[in-house]
Amino acid sequence: MRRQEDKKASEKDKPDLKGTFVSVMLLGIFIIITWVGAFALFVSR
Amino acid sequence: MQLAKNESQPKTSLQALPISKPESRLYMSYISVAFISLLIGGLMGLLQVLVRSGKFTLPAGIDYYQVLTVHGVILGLVLTTYFIIGFHFSLMGKTVGISIKQRKIAWIAFWIMVVGTVMTAVTILYGEASVLYTFYAPLRAHPVFYIGLALVIVGSWIAGFVNWHQLKVWKKAHPGEKSPLLAFMVTINTAMWFICSLGVAVAVLVQFIPWSLGYAETINVLLSRTLFWYFGHPLVYFWLLPAYMAWYAIIPKIIGGKIFSDSLARLSFVLFLFFSIPVGFHHQLTEPGIDPTWKFIQVVLTFMVIIPSLMTAFSMFATFEITGRRKGAKGLFGWFKKLPWKDVRFLAPFIGMLAFIPGGAGGIINASHQMNALIHNTIWVTGHFHLTVATTVMLTFFGISYWLIPHLRGRKLTPQINRLGIIQAIVWTVGMTIMSGAMHIQGLLGAPRRSSYSEYGGGEQVSEWIGYQLAQAVGGTILFIGILLMVYIFIKLTFFAPKGEEEFPIAEEEDDAEETPAWFENWKLWIGITVALILAAYTVPVIDIVQHSPLGSVPFDFPIGR
Repeated sequence: MRRQEDKKASEKDKPDLKGTFVSVMLLGIFIIITWVGAFALFVSR
Repeated sequence: MQLAKNESQPKTSLQALPISKPESRLYMSYISVAFISLLIGGLMGLLQVLVRSGKFTLPAGIDYYQVLTVHGVILGLVLTTYFIIGFHFSLMGKTVGISIKQRKIAWIAFWIMVVGTVMTAVTILYGEASVLYTFYAPLRAHPVFYIGLALVIVGSWIAGFVNWHQLKVWKKAHPGEKSPLLAFMVTINTAMWFICSLGVAVAVLVQFIPWSLGYAETINVLLSRTLFWYFGHPLVYFWLLPAYMAWYAIIPKIIGGKIFSDSLARLSFVLFLFFSIPVGFHHQLTEPGIDPTWKFIQVVLTFMVIIPSLMTAFSMFATFEITGRRKGAKGLFGWFKKLPWKDVRFLAPFIGMLAFIPGGAGGIINASHQMNALIHNTIWVTGHFHLTVATTVMLTFFGISYWLIPHLRGRKLTPQINRLGIIQAIVWTVGMTIMSGAMHIQGLLGAPRRSSYSEYGGGEQVSEWIGYQLAQAVGGTILFIGILLMVYIFIKLTFFAPKGEEEFPIAEEEDDAEETPAWFENWKLWIGITVALILAAYTVPVIDIVQHSPLGSVPFDFPIGR
């Protein structure tokens, strides 16, 4: 029981980084889109 | 327990030392050369974009390539190196201290660099060295140009040796303690700089100087270019890492937060040390004479640099989000609104961070082996490094200047200068978006970089380019206004801002931060791995280049009007 409470407390202390997660995912998508765009141009020429 | 941990790991703030007047004079001397360079180099940039618009010709028989050489050398080599060394010294002085003897040696380094810079500048101004900042053989500049460059490098080495000695002295006085984060970062950057500039030093001393003096009849062009790019790629990280120092360890303080992770910051710098150097071939992907297998190996190593870059991006987002949420932000992106948008010390570097997203994405395209053919030697590349060095790095350096210069000069960053700084950052962003954007698109349409205005005999493809060149002239002019504003701000902060105390912002770790592992201080291991990677990536291809190169080239003077 106490261990569960400790776990809950430590989870509460953990920073909420959902925005960071979404931001880095968007960054990754941007990199992939630009790379694929350049690759398509390269292949088409 | 917590107390015991804190006692064994003193916080950075406890280590922040006062900066004396003689120290300030030293640091300001380096930084002042950087701002003088900004004005001269920026003016040259303006002339270039105007010439390339096709509506302007240089007066008094001034050569375009002379102007281009001044622009590249003075901004790419002089401004950056002086600002970085001044910034390095101020960080070391603040975190680990500097002795009188070390300061004297730092002055020797400064004057050696100044003598070298003046020698190089004179040869360029006399039209004896219009070889651009890459000084590719077989174009031959006056020997004094190369000797001057060598002196700049030697001076920068001495400055680096002083930095290492500063940390060594501090460590002796603080046995068992981890080095301050910023001192650790400076040591990494100077180590990288020393290791990589050995390559260009060898090229200059062994190849270029004897050849330019006429002692050697020919030069191995491929070897000289390989040695240049062994230096040339880490050079861009030498520019970038001081910006990262500010992002990791200074920006959190400015926004009212803490360092996200001391260990992550150190690890990313160690990874930059490993993977910045054995990657020069990605600048030579279209070059004959280098085995494609070795090009591929260095491309793979280049892609490793993406890891610490993404670690940095993650760390920045996390710092912003944690700080914003502590200030009461809600929702997925509510923290974004809590950032201090009206503080130029934050805004300018933040725009720099944003610019690194397309800058980094473009870099991945450039380094993608065969795909490099799409953009090689096109003005896309110029657009790329105007995003990375001329926006990411420069706006961060400007952001640093807003607090560092008043701190060193005993003055205050006033609300008026802060507002002017915000306008400057916006002007820069608008100008660079137009100029660099036009360069990227024009590059994809096949337009060459480096070249002066030409209609190339009136080809159909060429007619597509001129609109983008006009856009570059517009963007470049806006950027020059940004430069004038920045130089005005520099003068104001140095001489006329009201007397007072400006904070030297150094962020602290969280109170309950994980302890940084002691093995981060294992310099022998980091240098050993770096050297091993370099030997692995370069030994065989360099032997191949030396053994199987075609006959060397005699010097060519006429293309640069000598």
